[in-house]
Amino acid sequence: MSAAKRVQQWATFARTWHIFDCKWQDPYLSANVIKKYLMGMHKPIYHPMNDCGDVVVCINSRDIALRGDDWRQRAYFHHTGYPGGASWTLAWEVHNKDPTMIIKKAVYRSMKGNLQRRHTMQRMLIYPGEEVPEDIMQNVTNQIRQLRPVPTRLDHIPEDEVKKYPKVMEYPEDYVLK
Amino acid sequence: MSNSHLFMKSGFVRAPLQNGVGRYVPQLQRIVLKFCKTHGGSRGIRDFIEQDLVEFAKQNPSVVVYLKPRRHRSPVAVAEYLNGDRVWMSLHQKSHSEITKWIEVLRTQQGDVSATRLRKYQFTDHPSIQGPWTPFTFKDPELNVAQLPDPKFGANDRLPMTATDKLRIMFEKQKISEDNVKTGE
Repeated sequence: MSAAKRVQQWATFARTWHIFDCKWQDPYLSANVIKKYLMGMHKPIYHPMNDCGDVVVCINSRDIALRGDDWRQRAYFHHTGYPGGASWTLAWEVHNKDPTMIIKKAVYRSMKGNLQRRHTMQRMLIYPGEEVPEDIMQNVTNQIRQLRPVPTRLDHIPEDEVKKYPKVMEYPEDYVLK
Repeated sequence: MSNSHLFMKSGFVRAPLQNGVGRYVPQLQRIVLKFCKTHGGSRGIRDFIEQDLVEFAKQNPSVVVYLKPRRHRSPVAVAEYLNGDRVWMSLHQKSHSEITKWIEVLRTQQGDVSATRLRKYQFTDHPSIQGPWTPFTFKDPELNVAQLPDPKFGANDRLPMTATDKLRIMFEKQKISEDNVKTGE
C-alpha cells in the first residue's frame, strides 16, 4: 500500500467526536439517534464488520425530560444474583443517585445485545452538566442535532421583548389575575 | 450474514482473472457420479447417465467424467475445480430434469461458490473516481470555527413553523401595511 493510499485509509476511518446536548430531550428517543453515531451507521462506509463507530459526548444529562409520569412510574430492575436480591428503583431515584445513568441505560438498551455492544458503549461519554474536560472538548468537531426544541422560560426573556410582544387585548386595571 | 456462517471462507464477488475475455478456460476439471444400480433414490441419475451423459462428455472434452456404481448407497456428485475446490452434492431422490440442472450448475460455476461467505454483495477494482468518502466530505465549513456546543448547530432545524410564530409574522406584516397606507394628504 502506497503512502497516499495509507493516508486515505486513515482519513476515511478517522473517528469523529460529536457532542449532544441532552437538555430537555427524551432519553429514549435520543438514544436511537446517538446509537447511530456510536455505531457509525450515519456513514456511507458502514458495515457491521468494520470498525467505523464515532465518539459521542453527552452533556447536560441532568436536564433530560422523561415522558408523561415516567419519573414516578418507570422502574429500573436490578438483581444481585442471590435469592431475594431483586430490586426495583424508580426513575427519579436513579436520577438523583446518578444523573448519567438513565441516558446511558437508554442507549445501551437501544442497541442489539451482541459482543460489540459493551465496546460501543465505551465510546460514549456522559457529563451531568455543561462542564466537559478540556482535553475531551478539543476533540469535538461536530454537534448532533436535538430532537425537541428547548423551551425558554418567560422570566429568561428580556423584559422589553416581552412588552413588545403583540397582544389581542389588555386586561382592565381592576382585573384580578389569579 | 449470521454468526453461524462466520466459520466459512470469506471472499468477494469476482470472476477468476477475467475468464472469457480472450478465451474461456473451463473451471470444472473432474466430475465423479456415484450411484446405485438398483435403488429408487438413484432413479434420476440412472436416467441422466443413460440419456445425457455421453452427450455431456462429448460437449465438454476438458471434463473428466467418472462413474462409480456402489450398492445401496445414495447418489452423489463430486466436482473438482481448477482452483482446487471440491464440491460434494447429494443427488438423492432428485429427478432427471433436476439433475440435469444441477450438473449444469457444477459445470459452469467457478470453484466452491456456495461455501463462500460474501463479505460484500458488490466488488469493483476501481472503487471511486472522485476519491473515497471521509468524515470531512460535505461538512459545513462553518463548523471549523464554531465554538461547540452551539444551539445554531445543535437545535432541531427541521420542525415546522409553530402557530405562535405564524401569528407573530402575520402581525408584523399588518404593522408594515398600516404604515404604508396612503392618505389623501
